[in-house]
Amino acid sequence: MNFQKVISGFFFILAMTTNFGFFYGDPSSIEHHSKWELFAAIIVNLIATILKLGDKTQLGSVLLATSLVADIQLIGAASVWALASYVFGGLDLESTVVIISMSGGALLANVVSVLLFIGDTLKSKR
Amino acid sequence: MESSNSAWIIIHRMRIPILVIIITFAISITGLMLIPGRDGDGNIYHFTFFDAFYFVSYMATTIGFGEIPYEFTYPQRLWVNFTIFLTVIGWFYGIGTIVALVQDKKLARELAVARFRSKVEKITEPFIIVLGFNNVTKEIINKLNREGIRIVVVDKDEAKIEAIELENYIPEVPAISGDTTKPATLKLAGIHQKNCKAVVVLFEDDIKNAKIALMCKLLNKRVDVIVKSTTKENTEHLRNIGIRHIEDPFKIISDRLYFEITAPYIWLLEMWVFGHVLRIRKREFLPKGKYIICGYGRMGHALARALERAGIEYISIDIKSSDYKKKKQSAIYGDAEDIQMLLKAGIKEASCIIAATKDDMINLTILSTAKKLNPTIYTIARENSLEDISIFKSARIDKIYILEQILATYTYNFIAHPLANKFIRLIHKKDNIWAMNLVGRLRSVIGKNPLLFEIQIDEEEAYALYNELIKGRKITLEVLKRSRANWREKNRIIFLLYEYRDEYRRERVLLPPDDLEIKANASLLVACDEEAKTDFEYIINNYYELHYVLTGRELTTGILGKLLAS
Repeated sequence: MNFQKVISGFFFILAMTTNFGFFYGDPSSIEHHSKWELFAAIIVNLIATILKLGDKTQLGSVLLATSLVADIQLIGAASVWALASYVFGGLDLESTVVIISMSGGALLANVVSVLLFIGDTLKSKR
Repeated sequence: MESSNSAWIIIHRMRIPILVIIITFAISITGLMLIPGRDGDGNIYHFTFFDAFYFVSYMATTIGFGEIPYEFTYPQRLWVNFTIFLTVIGWFYGIGTIVALVQDKKLARELAVARFRSKVEKITEPFIIVLGFNNVTKEIINKLNREGIRIVVVDKDEAKIEAIELENYIPEVPAISGDTTKPATLKLAGIHQKNCKAVVVLFEDDIKNAKIALMCKLLNKRVDVIVKSTTKENTEHLRNIGIRHIEDPFKIISDRLYFEITAPYIWLLEMWVFGHVLRIRKREFLPKGKYIICGYGRMGHALARALERAGIEYISIDIKSSDYKKKKQSAIYGDAEDIQMLLKAGIKEASCIIAATKDDMINLTILSTAKKLNPTIYTIARENSLEDISIFKSARIDKIYILEQILATYTYNFIAHPLANKFIRLIHKKDNIWAMNLVGRLRSVIGKNPLLFEIQIDEEEAYALYNELIKGRKITLEVLKRSRANWREKNRIIFLLYEYRDEYRRERVLLPPDDLEIKANASLLVACDEEAKTDFEYIINNYYELHYVLTGRELTTGILGKLLAS
């Protein structure tokens, strides 16, 4: 068993699952989506990004790219949330939908990342 | 990804610090949000994400704006107290890593390599790679740089690279430290580039030179390798792998001595190419009596060969500088035993003494001892290092062979004046009378100190002439001699060598006749005076001037010109 693979795999999949946890639910009502889950998704995604850094292979580059996409989308969602509630005086329907759909985009990137990761692991002979 | 090695080093080193910062931030923010606080009226409230992130950001970076939005409760302060240590440690760890990175040798090296690589890649003109920075190559670099020829230097010593940077060469001479015997270093220096014209390999060690020369040829077949070799076997070996330009300083000196004795005017022409005035000074004529060679190493042997070829009687005294210093514990030659040895060799009736050991001090003292014994003797010294030049100059020695300088001027000439180099090789095959006639002609037509330069008839160096030749017009060398002021008069100009080469043939004419038809892309070695040089350059570059010397009429162009002409 490769301990490094366990750790990186854990964070890659956790990044996807927390992302999904936040995304799942009625996209028009913010009550169905926990801010805690968004926070967890951002932190775990950032950690996953750092873990992907420094891998010079082709696959490593693509994995890093997916992670960066997820980071940008999730942080974008959090920023929209903060802007809407502090600057524009409260969440309305439009900003809620934007937040959820951005996290949906991040989820897609995370799914691609996990698929690539699993594919690479299956190809490995050890 | 090869080019951004330095970026990878930074990313790699910063991974853990960034991870630590993210985790400590996450813990601190979570704790702050969970612990209830009280607002100004005593109502319970919870930190929002934004509040928590804002607070932790300025706390962790030790900016510290205070407790906002409301004064903290004691449970909150307890937590903040804990997170201060947590985040500040994480943050300092990150900053510490950055500071360490700045001082990191590996990173500095990678950055230097990246800078060097981009500088070499940006060179668009032809350039030369010089391996090793020492007295010889420094002289070569100085001369080439003055002519604007681009150079790249590799030396294994970091301190020497810094010395090059302090020289402030213009155009810039990119330099990098590295192992010159490794292909990777040569590739870094741009040996693969199309505009890499030559590699200069002049190390002391023959075997090292041969190894590097072979490597250069394997890496790039088209590149010229200028390599030093002092033994016959090694030279043979280098020739076999297809290296055309092999420099043996001892052979050069041997040839010089031979010509100096048997054909002083050939020697004079050769020295003139290297910047000597076109006149043999009285004290430069070598005597033809008996010679004594002190020091019978590679140099001594080479000189002996020259004397043998010239049919001069000589005797050699084997003095090994290192043995001598060990035995006598001094580098001063001339105790009773030494004097006895010189007397036995016949110093009294000898006409010339050559001090050719590896040690400059011994060479100097040999000659001063010899002069004491025989004041009229002609003295020749071998000077090993350019640094001793002022001592030698004040020692009143008749002739000095400076190995390092000879090597430097030959290499420079080969790179910057290839045609002059060929000219020297051709005149070596002629005799003294021929050379004397040529010197006489040069002196009577041009003067005491003719200029020497070479040009290639291509679009860049001879715009007008080249285009005219391309159109199929027949132009002879005589045309180029005409004066710009009056086309019936001649400038003081003599063509020494004409060369034309393409894939199929090579045409080389020493002292080309006036009626020779010039071909495009040929090259010319020209001797002339200052005025003729200006005229010549105008004529070959300027349409109007060329047209005038061709026809004796002004060239008319445009509507106005045609109207005036008709």
